[in-house]
Parts: sequence; structure tokens; C-alpha cells
Amino acid sequence: MLHYYDPSTQSYEPGKSGLNPDFDSFSRDLGTPPSLSEELVSISVDGRDITVPEGTSVLRAAALAGINIPKLCASDNLEAFGSCRLCAVEIEGRRGYPASCTTPVAEGMAVTTQTGKLAKLRRNIMELYISDHPLDCLTCPANGNCELQDVAGVVGLREVRYGFDGENHLDAETDNSNPYFSFDPSKCIVCSRCVRACDEVQGTFALTIEGRGFDSKVVASQNDPFMDSECVSCGACVQACPTSTLMEKSVIEEGQPEHSIVTTCAYCGVGCSFKAEMKGDQVVRMVPYKGGEANHGHSCVKGRFAFGYATHDDRIREPMIRDSINDPWKVVSWDEALAFSAKKLKGIQAEYGRESIGGITSSRCTNEETYLVQKLVRAAFGNNNTDTCARVCHSPTGYGLKTTLGESAGTQTFDSVMKADTIMVIGANPTDAHPVFGSLMRKRLRQGAKLIVIDPRRIDLVHTPNAEEGLHLPLRPGTNVAIVNALAHVIVTEGLEDQAFINSRCDTEAYNTWRRFIAEERNSPEATESVTGVAADKVREAARMYAQADNGAIYYGLGVTEHSQGSTMVMGIANLALATGNIGKEGGGVNPLRGQNNVQGSCDMGSFPHELPGYQHVNDQAVRERFEAVWGVPIDNEPGLRIPNMFDAAIAGSFKALYVQGEDIAQSDPNTQHVEAALKALDCLIVQDIFLNETAKFAHVLLPGSTFLEKNGTFTNAERRINRVRKVMEPVAGMEDWEVTMALSNALGYPMHYNHPSEIMDEIASLTPTFTGVNYDKLEQLGSIQWPCNDEYPDGTPTMHTVDFPIGKGRFAVTEYLASEERASRRFPLLLTTGRILSQYNVGAQTRRTSNSDWHEEDVLELHPSDAELRGVKDGDWLGISSRVGHTVLRAKLSTRMLPGVVYTTFHHPGSGANVVTTDNSDWATNCPEYKVTAVQVEKVSQPSDWQRDFVDFDKRQQALLKPAMSKQENSHATTLK
Amino acid sequence: MSDQQLNNLIKMLDQIIANNLHHGDDEKVTDVAADHLQKFWARSMKQQIIAYANQRPDELSILAKLTVDKLEPAVEV
Repeated sequence: MLHYYDPSTQSYEPGKSGLNPDFDSFSRDLGTPPSLSEELVSISVDGRDITVPEGTSVLRAAALAGINIPKLCASDNLEAFGSCRLCAVEIEGRRGYPASCTTPVAEGMAVTTQTGKLAKLRRNIMELYISDHPLDCLTCPANGNCELQDVAGVVGLREVRYGFDGENHLDAETDNSNPYFSFDPSKCIVCSRCVRACDEVQGTFALTIEGRGFDSKVVASQNDPFMDSECVSCGACVQACPTSTLMEKSVIEEGQPEHSIVTTCAYCGVGCSFKAEMKGDQVVRMVPYKGGEANHGHSCVKGRFAFGYATHDDRIREPMIRDSINDPWKVVSWDEALAFSAKKLKGIQAEYGRESIGGITSSRCTNEETYLVQKLVRAAFGNNNTDTCARVCHSPTGYGLKTTLGESAGTQTFDSVMKADTIMVIGANPTDAHPVFGSLMRKRLRQGAKLIVIDPRRIDLVHTPNAEEGLHLPLRPGTNVAIVNALAHVIVTEGLEDQAFINSRCDTEAYNTWRRFIAEERNSPEATESVTGVAADKVREAARMYAQADNGAIYYGLGVTEHSQGSTMVMGIANLALATGNIGKEGGGVNPLRGQNNVQGSCDMGSFPHELPGYQHVNDQAVRERFEAVWGVPIDNEPGLRIPNMFDAAIAGSFKALYVQGEDIAQSDPNTQHVEAALKALDCLIVQDIFLNETAKFAHVLLPGSTFLEKNGTFTNAERRINRVRKVMEPVAGMEDWEVTMALSNALGYPMHYNHPSEIMDEIASLTPTFTGVNYDKLEQLGSIQWPCNDEYPDGTPTMHTVDFPIGKGRFAVTEYLASEERASRRFPLLLTTGRILSQYNVGAQTRRTSNSDWHEEDVLELHPSDAELRGVKDGDWLGISSRVGHTVLRAKLSTRMLPGVVYTTFHHPGSGANVVTTDNSDWATNCPEYKVTAVQVEKVSQPSDWQRDFVDFDKRQQALLKPAMSKQENSHATTLK
Repeated sequence: MSDQQLNNLIKMLDQIIANNLHHGDDEKVTDVAADHLQKFWARSMKQQIIAYANQRPDELSILAKLTVDKLEPAVEV
């Protein structure tokens, strides 16, 4: 049995920051970024020989040799700046005292870092800094973790001869406008690290140094409060600050953390690694982990700051049951709740048949949890009625990529974008929805890569500060396939194909069929212009930019998948990459940006009703036999119901019970009233979640879920990277989610026994060909693993399809454009498309319970000024939005981001009812809902919609039914704490 | 089975066929569509569409009916 850190049984070892001994190596700041040169240079530093890549700074070389030169303005995630001069050194044969951060190594260089003159020079510099710095170290929030204090100690500063009475900045006012960090300019040493972090790491350029000389100061935007500035609150400046000028409010309030554990963020599909910095069992702050391969020490406002939901008063802390959704919740023991659930499920199956129940896994839960839920359904329920919320986001990715490339996954690492020459972004908004990757993308754009954006909205990425303006193709919603065909048509007819790649790597017959189709004039940009609304010359320009680049990379999001032809569009994207040879190499590839943290993992783990883990079809007898041998029960050879099919069957009366782990289908799925009718039709709804979410209001059993901070497991991010999730505090209700599923299975009479998620992963590895080499020991050693990881690729696979495809040859697919049935009409003349915003996450259950709501208190309807003028609408007016399935009311926000005729909203607040108007149209191959195209009409109104009034009433009633139970659990929680 | 459930199944089937017309003649198109249903539709969904096709053969499109006819022998009840 392996042993892993468990805060309940193991004490913190001072000096160890996590579990992996290598973690500590990432806590050192080597001063300047690494050089990527392959040429090596040897130098000596204080007599120690060191060989480093050409271009390395003397400061970094010294650090690598174990010699720490004092520094203040340098940091290894920022380009050398050379302003503080503390890192001055002497170099044999050279005059003066060059700054080691801006001095590159040269062959044979002999460096001395400590002499009497250098010591005096450094003390003099520090003396100047300290003469304008408050001497309140003992009460300063940075006390114990202050670089300025450390350097003052290192240089041996003993006196400040200038005194403290001269002109200074000690009375500068603190800006507390940001909910998460304060800006106290009285502590600022104007090292510019915050400004450079905002520029170089985040790419927002919100901070500048205003004024000259003594008047120099850091300002946000045009000297605005941080909250009113362009600052996106990513925390990079706070991370970079060597003093307490920019400081987390949690640290100001609670003090410096005393230990940390590395874990993985539970928000978007980037899967950033964070150090949960703790005091006892309380998280003081989340600090992006430099050793994280997905984020390299960067973060966004959600992962960095929005973790307070974990300890929110709304947490469900004890199991609850009720017979009817009109009854009050009754707090019961785990045993009673599980026995109640098992009895209901068995009773329903006895009355309505084996296929009358099912389960839904979540992309927010770990691999091990989703694996267990689908195992519970297949083995304990005895059917394949398992699905995942990936159904409503990236199921077309699975279908499209498996058909064309043979594997249901993105092909690259995130870092691969740094080698892309042209980046094509389709139906994605990385700077809002995948912000850390958005920053990396912007870094590459600043280096000169070209950008094509295909999106109805003009996303922020189009204009990246200090980069060339992107080429924006603002297509009409629902015309993706027409435009991808037009791009391919240009590539084929203008001779831009990579024939060598096609001949050697692709199926000839499929290629020839596709080529004949795509070369037809009806697919040309000129012929499709009237459909897409995009000028033909722009489409031709984009096709050339992509095809003629040495490396062309495509990134796409839900603007591709959530359409009636989502799967066709994914295949169209794969066609582009195959035709141009942009597969199997760094800088290229087809990259789905997954919305939630474990979308990739939930799909990998066999959550879909037709596939066992590893995308192995249930009708494959050999596959089933392997699973049956391990699970000890027969597995149904027919696919089960998908989520929308479950809803239809529930309304029809044949589907009677559902177990939902960590997913809020009542808010996130389309055509809300249809979903509500389905949930009301169930005899037993078991919801396992951290809050009483919208779905739970229709439930009969409420099983407390655990946040990512309260459990062990793994997440797999959008680049197939399996990252460890480590428990940093005990689950509030005593059980991690995998333990709850296990207990439910045992209550149902199907035995499950695991002592730790590592044992679940071992079982996954034994049954999943792409995971055979994955285990927790290896994850500890390597930090993370990108699957496939097996005998062929023992350390994982950063870039896929380098030699061949899992299906042998790449298969071009014919992608005939079919207009969606959802079209603008006289009655519904506008097209609604939906999306996300930076500060909120998906249904908002987590972020709405944090200060992130300060940025986005409500969902609004963005509409073009010309559409607004036609309807006499002004900014802030209440607008009724009607589609053929529903009606809701949102506040208007005028915006020129969209074309006239297109309106846009987010779906982060349940009361908005964004999905009351979205329809149950879906992708032809996967039933992924067509969220991105809904024909609507908008008009000024003066009151909420009927649905919104019903929502408020129902919410009040359900909160009232919960209140007695919550009071009881509060009392019980207080007693426990005593 | 509700009308809505049935209507959705028919709509899905028609959509699958429409998106596979490029495969060529009716035989090929319906082969592909039937294979898709076989791989992705739940047993109960197949049973429902088969039952409907048997009861009201004229109310499905020609291609939809041909597709369902190919499906029937593959269903394990």
C-alpha cells in the first residue's frame, strides 16, 4: 500500500512544502528566465565551474552553481531589467560592477560575487531603499516572507545615514478597491516587477510606472483604483512584489502561512498547479506553482483567489433525505441516507426495470470519482445509463477527433503554442475562459505569431497589446462548417496542401473523396460569403496565413462543438490540420480548449453511455470480457441513455431515478423548462454536491460533496495532462466523493473496496490501454503525465500522432454544410449565442459565493447599438428575450463586439434563465445541445418573466425547506468545533 | 413512450441521415446511419423507433425507414 499525505494522520514536516521532494526546487528564484540555446558555455563563479546554455545570465548561472547573488528587481519569470543594481558582480578583465542579471555568460568568464567593494555598493543601495521605506517590519503582513527584508539582512545593512525625515512616500494612500489584494504604495520600491509581470506574464499591460525619478510610482491604468482599471486580478503582480506593497488581503488578515501542499485547480481545463498555502487546516492563499507544467507559476482570478466557496456557510455538511420535493429536508446519518437511496433505486428497478435508473458524472470531479460513478452504473445498476456533462460541451470533440485522427483528445501541450507561427482560434475566448493559456498565447503573439479569430464576437484576443492585430472573421452563428469548408477550399485550390504529409500519413481514398468534395465551387469563400457573412477575401487571407505558416495551430472551444453540426465542424478542423501537415509536431495541432477542469478526464474515464474507460465501445466483446473479469459482473452490450435521452424518458415515464454527482443539470442544460419537467417526473433524484444547487432543489437525497481541497485524486486537463489533486483539509461531511460512491455501491449490494484513490487509478490503468503506465508513484516522480502513458510511451506523450495515428492513417471526412433548423425569422429576427466571462465559472455555484461577483453581479444581454436603436433600447434597460421555447428578462448592455443581428449573454446566474430560451436542438452525432444558436426576439419590458417569478418562488420554497436542516447542521458543526 | 420522445427520435434519425447523405446512394447512406444508431442509441431508443416503423411505416421518410429496417436484426431485447 502506498502512503500519501493525509492531514488527518500525518503532521507537517517543517522545510517540506508538499509531497514531492522536487517541489522545493521550484521554490527557488533563479533570477532570470532560462535560455533555450543548445550551445553551452562554461564559466566560473567564485571559483565554482558551471556550464550553462549560451544566453544565460550571470545571475542565473551563479544561482545554478548554488551561489545566490542579492537581487530585488530580478525574478526568473521576468526578463532581466537591471534597475536595482544589487546583483552587481566583478568580472575578471572587465571594468566596473556589471549587473549580473543583464550580463550574459561568456566562455571562460570568471565571476566574483562577494568582495568588499561589492558589499559596500550593495549596502549603499539598500540604504537608499530603506530611507524611503516604513520600518514597521514586525507588524508588516510580509513579515517572514519579505525579499526586501531578506536582502537587507544579506547585505548586512546596519544603519541608514540619511535618516527618515527627508522627502518620502510613507504617507501614500493604500488602494483597497480590489477584494483580494491591497496596494500600499508606501511600501513600494519601484522595482517594476509588478509592471513587468502584468506585461510579460499576464499580457494585460494594466500597470505602468508614472512620473520620473523620485516621483516614479506604480499606477493602474490612468492612475485609477485597481478595481476600476484594466487589471484582471490574475495575481501576477502580487506574486512578483518583493515587499508587501501588493499583498493578499487573506495574508493581511490571517498572517503568513506555515506550510503548503501542491494541488490542481478545479476551475477551467487549463488545470493550473497551485500551492495551497495553509495555516493548520485553513487555506490562507493559493499561490500558482512554478513547477506546474500547465501554468508555469501563472494564475487567473478564479484559481488564485476564488477558493472561499470551500468554507462558505451554504456548504451541505450532512446527508439529507425527503420523500417528496415538497417536504422539508431531514438530516440523517450517512448509513441512513445510503440505505434510503439504495432502497429507492432497487425498488424502482424492481417496478420499472433495470434500465429505469442512471447516473451522471461530472467534469468537476476527479478521474477516480468519475470512474467509480460509471462503474456503479454499469456494474451495480446493471445498465449503461451513464453520461457526463461533457455531453453538453465537448462530446462532438470525441466523435470528430476519433473519426479523423483516431483519438478523442487534443494533440499538443499548451507550451506548443510558443512554436506556432499562425494561431487560429475558433469559437473560443481564451483570455476569459482559459485565462492562463490565453496569457501564454498572447506572449506568443507579442513575439510575432499571426492570429486568426473565427467568432461571431470580437473577443479580446483580437487586440493583444504590443502585437499585430488579429484577423477577425465575424461569422454568423451556425455557419461554422461553411467557413471551415471555405478555408479548406482555398488550401486545396491554391495548392497550399502539404502533399508529402498527405501521401505518407493519410488514407488515400478518404483524401481523394474529400478533395473532390471540397474543391467544388460551392465551397469557395465567394460562394459561402452570403451564408457566413464573412468577406471572401478575408477568408482567403486567413486560409493562406494558416496554410503557409511553418507551424499552424488551431484552438477551439464550445463555439465549435455546441452546434447542430458540432461534430462535423470538429472533423472540418481536423481536415485543415491534415491537409497542411500540422499534426504530429510542436507548434501545430488540433486543440480543444476544455471548459471545465476535468472534461478530458471524465470522457477518458468511460462516462459516456457507449464507451467504457479509454473510449472502448461496450459492444466490443473482448473489451467487455476484460472489464467483467475485474468487476465480476456482466456488462450490458448496448449503449445507455444520454442526458437528453434521459430527460425525454423521464417525461415519458420510463426513466425514474437518477444519481447526479457534482453537476447542475437544472441550470446548465438547455431548455430549462424541459429539464425541470424531467426532474420533477423522477421518483428518486440523488444529488451529491457541495451546495443546494438548482438540481438539488428537485432532489430526494442530498449527499454532501467535497471540494477539490478536501480530497485526493487526479484531474486531466485539456492537454491530456494527468495532475494530482491533493487533500489539504478534511471533507466537511467526513467522506470524499469517491468514498460516497463506494458506500452507495456497497449499500446496493455491489461491493467496492478501495483504501485510496491510488488503488482506483491502478484499476483504471489495468483496464485502459492509454493509461497502463499511470500510477501515483509515477505521478509523484514526474509531477504530471500526459496520456498515452504505456509501454510504448512510459513517461507519457506530449505531442500526439508524431509517427502514425491510432487508426493507422489520418482520415479526411467529408463535411457537408447543413444550415441549422434554428434560423432567424420575422418572429425571432436575432440570433442569441452564449458564453462565459473571466470572473465567473460555468453555473457560478462556486464563484458566485466569492468576491468574484464584484466583477459580474448579473448576466446581461449584449446587443449591437443598431439593434438597440431599432427597438429603442438603452444601456441598462430591462429586455425580454423570447425564443420558441421560452422567455426571460435580462438587462441590456450595448456592445459592438457582435455583428448586428447577434445578441450574447452568459449563464452564470440561475435566475437569469439564459437556458430558458436555449432550445433542445442538438448535434446530429452526439446530442450536444446547440447553445450557440437560438433565434430570439428582444423587446423592452418592465417586469421579470413568468419563469423568473416562478424561479424566485420555487427557490424561496426550497430554501425554506432546507433551512431547518441547515440550522441543525450548523449546531452540530459548532458542537464538533467545540 | 410520449409523442415528444418519439418526435425527438425521428428528428434525430432524420438529422443523422441528412448529415450522411454525402456517402452516396441510399444503400450506403442507410448503412452508415444504421451503424450510427447501433453504436450510439440506447436499446430502448432503438426499440421505440423500430416499433414505430413497424406500426406506421409510412410516416417515416424512405431513408429513415430503410435505416430502421437495417437496425432491427441487430437489437438484442
